Amino acid sequence: MAMALLENPKETGVTEQQFATFYVGDILLGVDIRQVQEINRQSEVTPVPHAPSYVRGVINLRGEVTTVIDLRTVLGLPQAEASRECRNLIVNSQGESIGFLVDRISDILALRSDQITPAPSNLNGIQSRFFSGVHVLETGIVVLLNVEEALAVQGTE
Amino acid sequence: MSCDDDLVREFVVEANEHLGDVENQFLIIEEAGDNVDVNLVNEVFRAIHSIKGAAGFLGLTKVNDLAHSLENVLNMMRNLELKPNSQIVEVMLKSADRLLGLINDIENSNSADVTAFTVQLEKIANGAFSGGGAEPVSPDSVAVEASVSVAAKVDSMDDEIERAFAAKRAEAAQASAPVEAPEPKSVLAESPAPQVAEAAPEQANNPKKETAPAAASDTSIRVSVGVLDKLMNLAGELVLSRNQLMQAIASKDRSGLDTIASRLDQVTSEVQESIMQTRMQQIGTVFGKFPRIVRDLGNKLGKQCNLEITGKEVEVDKTIIEAIGDPLTHLIRNSMDHGIESPADRKKKNKPEHGTMHLKACYQAGKVRLEIEDDGAGIDPKKLREKAVSKGIITQDRADQMGDREAIRLIFHPGFSMAAKVTDVSGRGVGMDVVRTNIAKLGGTVDVDSVIGKGTKVIITLPLTLAIIPSLIVQCQQDRFAVPQVNIVELVRLRREELDKRVGRVQDAEVLRLRGKLLPLIRLNEVVEAPGSVQGGLENNAPEEQAINILVVDTGQQSFGLIVDSLHDSEEIVVKPLGRHLKTCPCLSGATILGDGHVALILDVAGIAQHEEIRCAEDLSKNTKKKSSPSDDEHLDEQHLLLFSNHAHEHFAVTMDVISRIDRIRAEQIDSVGGQELLQYRNTTMSLLRLENCITAKPAHAKDRLYVIVFEVAGKEVGLVAPDLEDIRDISTAIDMVTFRERGVMGSMVVGENTTRLVDLFELADIAHPEWREDEKPVAEQGEQPPRVLLAEDSNFFRKQVAEMMREKGYVVVDCEDGLLAWETLNSGQHEFDVIVTDIEMPNMNGFEFTDRVKQSKHWRHLPVIALTSLAGSADIQRGIEVGIDDYQIKMDRDKLLNSLHNFTGGKAGNNVRQLQTV
Repeated sequence: MAMALLENPKETGVTEQQFATFYVGDILLGVDIRQVQEINRQSEVTPVPHAPSYVRGVINLRGEVTTVIDLRTVLGLPQAEASRECRNLIVNSQGESIGFLVDRISDILALRSDQITPAPSNLNGIQSRFFSGVHVLETGIVVLLNVEEALAVQGTE
Repeated sequence: MSCDDDLVREFVVEANEHLGDVENQFLIIEEAGDNVDVNLVNEVFRAIHSIKGAAGFLGLTKVNDLAHSLENVLNMMRNLELKPNSQIVEVMLKSADRLLGLINDIENSNSADVTAFTVQLEKIANGAFSGGGAEPVSPDSVAVEASVSVAAKVDSMDDEIERAFAAKRAEAAQASAPVEAPEPKSVLAESPAPQVAEAAPEQANNPKKETAPAAASDTSIRVSVGVLDKLMNLAGELVLSRNQLMQAIASKDRSGLDTIASRLDQVTSEVQESIMQTRMQQIGTVFGKFPRIVRDLGNKLGKQCNLEITGKEVEVDKTIIEAIGDPLTHLIRNSMDHGIESPADRKKKNKPEHGTMHLKACYQAGKVRLEIEDDGAGIDPKKLREKAVSKGIITQDRADQMGDREAIRLIFHPGFSMAAKVTDVSGRGVGMDVVRTNIAKLGGTVDVDSVIGKGTKVIITLPLTLAIIPSLIVQCQQDRFAVPQVNIVELVRLRREELDKRVGRVQDAEVLRLRGKLLPLIRLNEVVEAPGSVQGGLENNAPEEQAINILVVDTGQQSFGLIVDSLHDSEEIVVKPLGRHLKTCPCLSGATILGDGHVALILDVAGIAQHEEIRCAEDLSKNTKKKSSPSDDEHLDEQHLLLFSNHAHEHFAVTMDVISRIDRIRAEQIDSVGGQELLQYRNTTMSLLRLENCITAKPAHAKDRLYVIVFEVAGKEVGLVAPDLEDIRDISTAIDMVTFRERGVMGSMVVGENTTRLVDLFELADIAHPEWREDEKPVAEQGEQPPRVLLAEDSNFFRKQVAEMMREKGYVVVDCEDGLLAWETLNSGQHEFDVIVTDIEMPNMNGFEFTDRVKQSKHWRHLPVIALTSLAGSADIQRGIEVGIDDYQIKMDRDKLLNSLHNFTGGKAGNNVRQLQTV
């Protein structure tokens, strides 16, 4: 019986995915919720000397030293002051917990795969390689972030 | 597979154990040649036999077949029907490798092909292989045959791999595609292991076969039942302590909290210790594979080399065991390839045709020291300089300035290959620098020493464990950093007004004048900040700060001063790795979480030194030192002294060599029990001495905070109360031994403007606690001849001190002013000596020369030689061992010197005889 309850993607060709959305600057971004480990608010970031510029520092995540990455710098946006709404979005990548510093957390969005369109080659001047797709809302667009690509960024110094 | 999985798994573990030693046993069998050690062969036979039995039972046919063939050959060997030679052993070794390969890939073992091995083994068993009469099959052709069959199989196998990787390869880079690789062997080496299960038959021919067993061994670890039991007990204790704590909190009874806290503290540290113990493994597990590597490389390169291994039993943390294998393998390959010469060359140079490589592990000052020494060609510093210049690594100027030793260290430079030509074995230009980086990652250091024509020695020092390290927490602006205690030599605090005097500039580099040496200075501020944001010198560094804190750190290759804003506590920190984005940070070796939950980064002092390029400054200080202190050669024994005062106008000194440590305490920590002062200390008590109670001295003023100089006497820790510490200095011993001489005071000298009395800590302890010495045994029984000591020491002061001390114990001492006089005394035949005690630095003939002569002579070489030094440097010790010095002792450490004497004279002689003879 349990089998019947499970969605069968092959039948329809359409799957539904949930995305955690958040703001970086004016851009609404989304990350597949299965990649998100937790969202926390931690102001104690220890800066790391000689780290790449996109690394904000490290935090103590319950005994694990976790790198926090400034998404603004990765995406090439200007740095901003830390505000009260800043959050660390902890994602799990290659067995390691890594935090993204984001400006504000927004809703969780359930999208069917046919609601996602490929990202245009240029979005507000940001390279499209960071994005896996775009979804158009009534009020604007959600850009889906390619987590691995964002973490693979190198040498933006 | 139909059989029970648990049973199979057990079989794999057991078989790995059986085969673990087989490799080395084969090598010993090979070495023994015709003199077959039947017991050893039997041992191997039994191991293979049990594998065969179990494999048969479990239905592992191919394992069974191969083990059976191997067993046959061994059976003939132990019945002396077959004599082992290196061709036979070669086949057996490869078969054993194959067997191990099958066992570690047990799922697919039944579909593997082992006929190549069984056929060869059968041939041996049938006598077709042995050297009796004309050899039907020459070893060469066998080898060729083997490799041809391998190549053939590789071809067929390539298709499978190709299919398996088709998807992956589409995106992968060209280079990783297995088919393009130039030769069959490297195909196997590069193919990812899990997918090439079918490729396993050929892996036996692949020298890199150790991957499989290694993977098998790190999934589980052996822990002694004793340790487990202890852990279990401790867990019980922990629960008990928790219950007590909960009760105390529930009942709001705060009176017992102290006891509970200290109990918890103790249990926790014991748990920590025991858990660390479970992770400790013998380094022999790594060393085990090297005899085979040396042998195989020797065959391949046409060189002969014996590998001598000592210190297998040294235990280090599991993580280090796992990580040290590759660097060591690389170093051994290097030694074989570039170090050891071919037998013909060696003969020309009058060396034995067999080279010798010595692999050694030992503990040294809380670390592990590994040495790989060969007696090969050595490294030519001239060539290295030329090459470094031609490769643009350093400038010609720099090369000219470089000392030989530093030039040799160029091999650690990235992109530097020692080999004149690239060979299969080593020399691809990624060599020693990778070794160094890998070892630095473990918190260790590498150094190299080489003499042309004599050989090369690589010295690696490693921490015993990586997981928990004692560190000092320092602050720099807003952030705290941890500096591993092992890197810290001392802390220097400079007052503002001393700055100009102590800090100078040498060619744009800031240096600290410290006891006559110049030490390069680095400001942590500058290291950790983004370049450009730092301005100003020391003066602007911390305007409100009264004093400047300098950490004198040592990377093993150089030392420098690190200026920090402030110092916090010393803590045992748990090392946490940094994420992948931070792996490249040059000055950090990890992170830790402090008691308050904040993250502190761990500084890598070697990385800082490299980052700031302070090598030059080090050279400068060396040069300056040479110029400024020509007195180095005048054989003045410098004493490393701690200066302190008891009463405002009375100054004292003790020699640093005998001090275990210095503690700062509060006056209220001192308890007075029955007229004795005791200090509560880390759950034990320590006796305290006060100068005024032992010698003529004015009493100290009462102070809230005191220093305690801790030293060890008769196995106990004793503390001497020192209200005010003044300085630590190197002072040459111009000591007046008359004016202030009394029991407990060796003599006096003038330091600065103050008359300072040099205190003998051991005599102080004797005065205060004569009962501690009572149970000591006399050096000789009544009526026996007392042991005779020949003492060579140029400093009047030390000669008298040491001689007197030995005479007091009942030794007969003949003392001489230098090595030459001692040598003449020895040869005059007036006295028969039992032991020689000699200083190292002496005019006319130094201690090394003297020892060398003694050990080379026919008559005296049996005499034990104990060398005395002020501070034993490892280079000195090494040289001393080479000339045959039996033991090193620190001059002022009376207990240890007497112990050593006692050991060497075997307790012979009486304490009733006192003789005095001076030559």
